[in-house]
Amino acid sequence: MPEIVFDSVEKSYGPTRVLEPFDLHLADSEFTVLVGPSGCGKSTTLRILAGLETLSGGEITFDGNPISHLDPKARDIAMVFQDYALYPHMNIAKNMSFALRLKKVAKSEIDERVQRTADLLNIGHLLDRKPAELSGGQRQRVAMGRAMVRDAGTFLFDEPLSNLDAKLRAKMRTELAEMRNTIDKNMVYVTHDQVEAMTLGDRIVVMANGVIQQQGTPEDLFKSPVNKFVAGFIGSPTMNFLDGDLTDVGGTMTVAGDGFSLPLSDALAARLRTHGGKAVTLGLRPSSITLEETAGAAIDLRVIVAEYLGAQSVLVTRCGTEDVLVEANSATPIAPGTIRTFGVLTDELMVFDRTSGLRI
Amino acid sequence: MAAKNPQAANPAFYALLVALIFMSVGPIFLMLATSFKLNVDIMSDSSALFFFPTIRNYETALCDMLWYEVEHVRRCDPTFGRALVNSLIVATVSTALTLVIGCMAAYALVRFRFMGRDTVSMTTLMMRMVPPAVLLVPVFGIWTFQYGIDGTRFGLILIYTAMNLPFVIWILQSFIVQVPIQLEEAARMDGANPFQTFFLVVLPLIKPGLAAAAIFTFRVAWNEFLLGNALADRNSRTVPVTIVNSLTEYDIDWGVIMATGMLLAIPPIIFTFVASRQIITGMTAGAVKG
Repeated sequence: MPEIVFDSVEKSYGPTRVLEPFDLHLADSEFTVLVGPSGCGKSTTLRILAGLETLSGGEITFDGNPISHLDPKARDIAMVFQDYALYPHMNIAKNMSFALRLKKVAKSEIDERVQRTADLLNIGHLLDRKPAELSGGQRQRVAMGRAMVRDAGTFLFDEPLSNLDAKLRAKMRTELAEMRNTIDKNMVYVTHDQVEAMTLGDRIVVMANGVIQQQGTPEDLFKSPVNKFVAGFIGSPTMNFLDGDLTDVGGTMTVAGDGFSLPLSDALAARLRTHGGKAVTLGLRPSSITLEETAGAAIDLRVIVAEYLGAQSVLVTRCGTEDVLVEANSATPIAPGTIRTFGVLTDELMVFDRTSGLRI
Repeated sequence: MAAKNPQAANPAFYALLVALIFMSVGPIFLMLATSFKLNVDIMSDSSALFFFPTIRNYETALCDMLWYEVEHVRRCDPTFGRALVNSLIVATVSTALTLVIGCMAAYALVRFRFMGRDTVSMTTLMMRMVPPAVLLVPVFGIWTFQYGIDGTRFGLILIYTAMNLPFVIWILQSFIVQVPIQLEEAARMDGANPFQTFFLVVLPLIKPGLAAAAIFTFRVAWNEFLLGNALADRNSRTVPVTIVNSLTEYDIDWGVIMATGMLLAIPPIIFTFVASRQIITGMTAGAVKG
């Protein structure tokens, strides 16, 4: 499978630049997820790779060979579209075999490959039906089958699960994760759902406003985000951000703001001393705040709503004027409206420069 | 008890309905009846509804195309048979040509970005607004003196195709716009070249549009009189022109004219039935998530 390299690729529509020049290296047989909010350029990147859009500058190479001038069909790429894009006038078997028939593959081989792929995806019994007679989940499988049956070197997925209901999406996600391990191909997957990104990706590329913010393994992104955007995008529930000022209270570096004053761990404090900035934003994961007051530093929060999710609850609390999410065990009953002291695990705090948003 | 539905209970409503039906079906019925009468019955003053039906008029009209010798025809006049053949050829070929050219032009206008696209699109429709009578003189001049294709079926096919193209392009544009662009992208990813994308993916999906356009085009080409009358000669005359030309001051054979009229009505009816079966909605259902 080819090693795909983006070399200062950029894209503009007239005077509007949608993708700043970027480099990206997708290793052989890697599952890469492009993730970001709507309009961040992730789909455009995928479509450039597919050959459906031209690039405005730079070059893409497959194993060192430039491909940006090639037609989609010459790139050995299969793609699954967001809204399936099944040919409505063909039955499922014809849909899946369309590419093979265009390539003039022998009929017996087509039948065999279609049947094998369809069985793999549990749609073997639907081959005679038309797309209109299928449910959303089945259509999604057909769309995937149509890409898989071609046995292309690279698979592109453009938000393939976004049209499914929550339960089906979780199921398909698991199946995709399973498929990822059995199929030895390059896969590039675009999504706006960070849960999909985290569960599927070997490597995640976080994009915003046409710029790659950070790329790395799911763990890298969760534990050491480079800036506030990545920190806020990755992780569920999302990270809490509190604006505060750095102060030195009796030799301990402390961040104090509206309604809170939290001491920093020594390692973090050491880094901050060299930084020197005063105005910072503190990042707290909802999981870093516990109900045990004695664990770490204390913070007083007014509980607004308790969202019961089963074993866990998400408490929406307020610190000054900011909402703060807390992940808590449901075993401890908490009445909305009360003010309560929570413990903050100071080891897990992150500090961001307030103006640049970069993590310190 | 008050009527539940005053509209349905009103006798005037039914009277109006009957009057309308009578007005639309009446002439056709009269034509049908007359076509089965002998000239004696047609001209007689006695009741029009009681007569001995005969297919003589049809035999006369089609005398040179029947497999048996028609006894009552002394000299077989091939005019009507020939006109029917002319009409069939002219209408079918011009319809086919119009559809082939029209669907490609419409596709290009919808999908390709080029300078003056909107202008071209509007101009095609404006061509349609010119009445055929305005075209008559210049077309006659050009066809006759420039190309010498007056009095040929080809000349008729050419002008009918040109006349119908704008409308067909216009109507097909609205159908092609509805084909999701993702389908074409999917086809491209599957390795289809532009022609394969068009013929294997787009064309099957605009079948209803093609059928509607075909019905319209066929009807216009089949019924057209003005240009046909001016351009066709004795051998290339279509049925409407022939019928009118057989009304001479010496002899009007009403029976044969009516029979020809009935024959004239049959092909468009068959064509419309066949084509309208293709007009089904929801061709693109299931293509993309709605």
